[in-house]
Amino acid sequence: MDIVKIVGIGFLTLIVILVLKEFKKEYAIYASILGGIILLTMSFGTISEIVGFLNRISEKTSYNNSGFITLLLKITGIAVLVEYGTSICRDSGETAIASKIDFAGKIIIISMSIPVISLALDTLLQLLP
Amino acid sequence: MDVNILLKIAGVGILIAVVHQILSKAGREDQAMMTSLAGMIIVLTMVVTEISNLFETVRTVFNL
Repeated sequence: MDIVKIVGIGFLTLIVILVLKEFKKEYAIYASILGGIILLTMSFGTISEIVGFLNRISEKTSYNNSGFITLLLKITGIAVLVEYGTSICRDSGETAIASKIDFAGKIIIISMSIPVISLALDTLLQLLP
Repeated sequence: MDVNILLKIAGVGILIAVVHQILSKAGREDQAMMTSLAGMIIVLTMVVTEISNLFETVRTVFNL
């Protein structure tokens, strides 16, 4: 993952956006969306390696936590997508939509982590005398 | 799926702007509207396919 390539693509997207803002205002948003997509997909290669590493580590640990690692990965994926959506909306000036996406993302993450919270509470209650 | 899609978008945008100017100067307002709409649709389909690729990659990487 060559950081120079990433920064270069970022600058190229910036230039394309500025040029498009000059000619056609609404095409700038498409350029920024596509630039974001290109930069994100470039970094997904490394992310999948990290995910594989995490999975290998979680198999080695003794107690049964198969659900936790997958849940963590799901939450990270949701966070990545929510951050992508909100930043695009804020760029184009629609902070209201950005906050709605943020809100929905938080709700989904909380609803997904409820089983883990209940499991933690149960184990805690067992520890108490 | 590298940088050339960005340049494609820029090319289509500038081309549509120029065609719009020419047609509106030539007095054909409706055709100018049609071409800008067509350009918008072309760019939209490109962007939508790229967005679906992104969502697919995210789904496979994080097994959502």
